[in-house]
Amino acid sequence: MSIDTQALDDVVHVASAISDVVVIELAGVNKWYGEFHVLKDINLSVNKGERIVICGPSGSGKSTMIRCINRLEEHQAGDIIVNGTEMGNNLKNIDAIRRDVGMVFQQFNLFPHLTVLENCTLAPIWVKNMPKAEAEKIAMQYLERVKIPEQAQKYPGQLSGGQQQRVAIARSLCMSPTIMLFDEPTSALDPEMISEVLDVMVGLAESGMTMLVVTHEMGFAKRVADRVIFMDQGEIVEQNTPDEFFTNPKSDRTKLFLSQILAH
Amino acid sequence: MTDATQSDTAFRPKPSLPPPANTVGAVGWLRKNLFGGPVDTILTVVSLYLVYLIVQFAIEYGIINAIWSADTYRECLDINRGEGACWAGIGVWFNSMMYGRYPDEEQWRVNLGGIILLLWLIPFWLPKITGKIQIGMSAVLTFPFLGAALFLGGEFGIFLHVMASVALTLFAAVWLHVATTYVFGRSLAELLVSATGFAGKDDRLHKYVLLGAFGVGFVLSLVYLGSWDLVEIPTTIWGGLFLTLVISGIGIASALPNGILLALGRRSKMPVIRVFCTAFIELFRSVPLITILFMAVTMMPLFLPVELNPPKLAMVIVAVCIFAAAYMAETVRGGLQAVNKGQYEAAQAMGLNFWKMMALIVMPQALKLMIPNIVGSFMGLMKDTTLVSIIGLYDILLMGKAAGQNPNWLGFHTEPLLFTAMFFFVLCFAMSKYSQHLERTIGGGYGRR
Ligand SMILES: Nc1ncnc2c1ncn2[C@@H]1O[C@H](COP(=O)(O)OP(=O)(O)O)[C@@H](O)[C@H]1O
Ligand SMILES: [Mg+2]
Repeated sequence: MSIDTQALDDVVHVASAISDVVVIELAGVNKWYGEFHVLKDINLSVNKGERIVICGPSGSGKSTMIRCINRLEEHQAGDIIVNGTEMGNNLKNIDAIRRDVGMVFQQFNLFPHLTVLENCTLAPIWVKNMPKAEAEKIAMQYLERVKIPEQAQKYPGQLSGGQQQRVAIARSLCMSPTIMLFDEPTSALDPEMISEVLDVMVGLAESGMTMLVVTHEMGFAKRVADRVIFMDQGEIVEQNTPDEFFTNPKSDRTKLFLSQILAH
Repeated sequence: MTDATQSDTAFRPKPSLPPPANTVGAVGWLRKNLFGGPVDTILTVVSLYLVYLIVQFAIEYGIINAIWSADTYRECLDINRGEGACWAGIGVWFNSMMYGRYPDEEQWRVNLGGIILLLWLIPFWLPKITGKIQIGMSAVLTFPFLGAALFLGGEFGIFLHVMASVALTLFAAVWLHVATTYVFGRSLAELLVSATGFAGKDDRLHKYVLLGAFGVGFVLSLVYLGSWDLVEIPTTIWGGLFLTLVISGIGIASALPNGILLALGRRSKMPVIRVFCTAFIELFRSVPLITILFMAVTMMPLFLPVELNPPKLAMVIVAVCIFAAAYMAETVRGGLQAVNKGQYEAAQAMGLNFWKMMALIVMPQALKLMIPNIVGSFMGLMKDTTLVSIIGLYDILLMGKAAGQNPNWLGFHTEPLLFTAMFFFVLCFAMSKYSQHLERTIGGGYGRR
């Protein structure tokens, strides 16, 4: 079976700088929603600076898996270790991990009652006790990096979807995380806005950030990912470099998925 | 055929015709809204006639036949045979309906308390002023103690003395803050820090400067309040609108914070807290206020040691606060449910702890959604406090009723009721208007969503 990957062939891969320090370790992670087994024996280890793209059919447990990494979901069996801190019921550990891990959501989840600038300074001020002036200076730097410093005084409701998602990325970066999680960051966007968000993410990858990205943007995967992970029915079915993954998928489920994704 | 010539001529729109004469102007409006058909016309005529009857009666009863000066109800009746109001009686009873049996020569204390509270809240509406939340909190949390010291008088205990001093210090600070803001354009805190030469020093030291300034103010207030020598006025003779405002004011001020705590407790993951809060809310929401009031004044004293023997008013206030909190808790819970789950997740992912997430992200959004309901509960509570008349507290309603039982004023019932109704209408209407104003202005920048 051959898959048409023409469109992806001429993508140039961003240089990667993977160190051999493991920053995220999932070992034998299992999770159930009542009777429903969402995560089945997940084993995954991520090195510092590594960029991982996670794909798979809807409902396969991608969101659940990355949300376990910052404890938006609780796992019931197995170990999750982030930056050497064991994830458990210890609130101190959870706080420590959340300070290090930024997250960007499909629906942006900006705070509608705060301006763009206040969205960005809230956590540095209230979690890190940073003086307001310093927090604002840092926030403006990141807003410049995502190319919307001129929107700082507006409210999220006044921005387009692409702008809102870029603010959400800047907001996460203001906490200077070492790891960034993205859960389908472009799925809620109109097509013409997808590339402005992806560009920001590519820039972030170039700066050496450790990234876990759930996305179906295969061009982005090809360009940025060091590893592509395919999930189905709560399992990691296959993982490989993007080249191998797209040109030489091993399991039938992966082939079927890729043919559906790349068909259009 | 004509087709060819038609397609050659360019399209030229004709100017629109003016609307038919009878759809514009006052006549058009009348036709459209009031006389649109036979049914509309009949309804309009009947309504206009009813309005005419009511207005005519109001003018005759309230103005034309009304008596403005008389010494007894008999005098009024002799002149207008009850076909007009006896407003003279309101003049005679006005003082009682405002203050109950609070002695005339001490009523300035009530007025002063009211003025202090108003002054405390005025900075809330001044533009420029910073720290409005702190100002509001200081008023709500500490004014009741200053008020109690002022209204009660006598030898107040050490606790009341200390708390009233705290209140007085904060009140002075609020107005010094207003003064420095308008005169020097800087907040009181900034001015204190720079005046003591700590401006360049570590931010953490600033706190001690402010604490020191507070300490000085506190000691001064302590001494000043110690020099007060007010006649003791027991709560048993408080009454009238003053009593109504004391009960409903404390009930309203405590309802929101207590309601928020109960609502959060009901959603808590800790079973003991959740069960307790749920039981508390459901119990007090399902029992009429009047029952709670009766239990508070008849049963509570049986459980408390005799030496404590709290005044009836204190028990009534506790009962009203409990009732108000239980109602408010459900209002708040509704607001919390309306906040998007993604907001909680984003706040958690950023590392905010539970209380910061609630205070900074969830509550501001929930409260904005809840404003109409919150103010609705406040209005309900304000009117419900008239139930205290049933257990014998002389609030404005019972005081008005008492007027009609005075030998000289037997049968004088309608006018005090109208007068009382007017007060409640003014207070509640003002709240309602203010809530609409808040809804428009709070977080005005939401923009499109
Ligand atoms: N809170 C929940 N309760 C019960 N089932 C859930 C819950 N959240 C997700 N699920 C189920 O878990 C499965 C995996 O969900 P998710 O991780 O969101 O999938 P994906 O992100 O891959 O589309 C889905 O079948 C979904 O219906
Ligand atoms: Mg998902």
